Amino acid sequence: MTRILLRNKLDDCIAAWQKAGFSVLAPVRRHEMSSFGEVQKASDMAFDLVLPERTIKDHFFPQTEPLIKYKISKHQIDSETMTPPDQKRVFFGVRPCDASGLAIDDPLFGWDYKDDYWFKRRENSVIVTIVCTEADDFCMCTSVKLSPDSAKGADVLLRPLLNGAGWQVEAVSERGTALLETISPLLQENSEPTAPLPQVAEKFDVEKVMEWLADPASFESQFWKDIALRCVGCGSCTFLCPTCHCFDIQDEGDTYQGIRRKNWDSCSFANFTMHTSGHNPRNTQSTRWRQRIMHKFNYYRGKFGVNSCSGCGRCTRQCPVDMGITETLQAISTLPR
Amino acid sequence: MIYSPFPMRVVSKRAEAPGVNTLKLEFVKEEDHEFFKANYKTGMFGLYGIFGEGESTFCVASPETRKEYIECTFRQSGRVTSTLASVDAGDIVTFRGPYGNRFPIEQFEGKNLLFIAGGIALPPTRSVIWSCLDQREKYRDVTIVYGARTVADLVYKNELDEWKKRDDVRLVLTVDPGGETPDWQDHVGFVPTVLEQAAPSPENTIAVLCGPPIMIKFTLAALQKLGFTAENVYTTLENRMKCGVGKCGRCNVGSVYICKEGPVFTAAEVQAMPQADL
Repeated sequence: MTRILLRNKLDDCIAAWQKAGFSVLAPVRRHEMSSFGEVQKASDMAFDLVLPERTIKDHFFPQTEPLIKYKISKHQIDSETMTPPDQKRVFFGVRPCDASGLAIDDPLFGWDYKDDYWFKRRENSVIVTIVCTEADDFCMCTSVKLSPDSAKGADVLLRPLLNGAGWQVEAVSERGTALLETISPLLQENSEPTAPLPQVAEKFDVEKVMEWLADPASFESQFWKDIALRCVGCGSCTFLCPTCHCFDIQDEGDTYQGIRRKNWDSCSFANFTMHTSGHNPRNTQSTRWRQRIMHKFNYYRGKFGVNSCSGCGRCTRQCPVDMGITETLQAISTLPR
Repeated sequence: MIYSPFPMRVVSKRAEAPGVNTLKLEFVKEEDHEFFKANYKTGMFGLYGIFGEGESTFCVASPETRKEYIECTFRQSGRVTSTLASVDAGDIVTFRGPYGNRFPIEQFEGKNLLFIAGGIALPPTRSVIWSCLDQREKYRDVTIVYGARTVADLVYKNELDEWKKRDDVRLVLTVDPGGETPDWQDHVGFVPTVLEQAAPSPENTIAVLCGPPIMIKFTLAALQKLGFTAENVYTTLENRMKCGVGKCGRCNVGSVYICKEGPVFTAAEVQAMPQADL
């Protein structure tokens, strides 16, 4: 016997979490792109999405994050450190790839110097993952050794029931156990079968990719120049990536007052690495694309033991020139060697 | 909180060369100063800023043996450095750091030291030079080879005079051909050539080399010719930085984060990096 949450109990569930002090966020269709947004009732949620177009990262590493507010007067400069809102949150209906993305980024934001902005949001959040029952042509979690029912990064794991009436519920962390306690009267014992997992075909051999990338001779291969020709350097793939974490720090304001902000940046942009002198270590789109692939499948795992990709496929799904990481890695894994 | 800088008061500003200034900064808050004193070692860098303009990365030019103030020397070139160049004594700027690794000068004890710098790269070298000269008895022969494009471009002119007068320092000064003035008494020629002529012995010697990439390249070749091994040559790398603490993702050369694993490397370590990413 396992516990299940019925779909028709979801409104009560949201109310119970709100009463316990949480805001509840779930996939919504509210703007031109689907994303995670605050919900008040079950009907606000967009359950039919394989994956929202924007990632859950938006709520942990926002597009723009105020760091310091400053005010400059004639004899004085006042500055005030800004912190993220102290709000407990439940993320309901996160896909395994998005939840994994958070877990993948934790060591980066934590090594040596701890990024308080990331961790304050992480500590305030409970991740309720819903296992996938559908996949599209771009999904590639299995290619990066994750799966449609991976519990990585999750606090609670929900498996959809075959009859569509609800979800089998399992706490996979202490935080998840505590969250389920707040809704225990709404859960019931049941042995209803769960829906089968979707078949997500392996699109490339990640071991072969990693092996090729680790060979110093590959760094200056003609391959990079050929594969990156199509890239327009728009940065969409980095902004829609659940693990891309690069940022800029900029002051916005006038002469007298303003805010220092941590803003999303992208390794696709020429300005990203441009020196004041005009020298640019990554001065062509091919060197920038190489950096992106090397960072994800070589450098990151060297430092943190994991690839910086959770296989969501957004980089390909939403690329304006139909390029993305999948095609590059497919090409690498089939290179003659 | 991470990314929150220390407020610093400008004590003085000194013009070094056309477009190059040195700021002497003191800590506004005692606890910030205590943190700096406990953590600063020669070779480390900081992010210097002005609210409303942003932050720029450069080295701490003062030595680890003198931690009452922070000195920084920079060329006025972008938005932040132009504003920093316009401050007056008493103004408030910001400092974030010290970040990065250091020159392991305790490992240099009992050895000869050869410092080689080009142009605006004397500031990081100068931090190591004074850190060693302030404990002169621990080191053997000290040679400083410094070159700039023109006589006017030489920075720390007062200190160059001071080093010249010392009998425990050998100073070799040079300017590029055409950069000399009628009364210039020192060398005329590029740093690698002048270095080869000065021919310091590689025996029991550590070289510290800082300069623009092209100078580094040719000077390394000259050092090799003189018999120096890449393990005994130290240098400091620079890249665009925003966070300074290994997160913002731009300063890496290959897998090496300059801000965390550097900025100080041996020439052997630099040679092991993918050269196309430098």
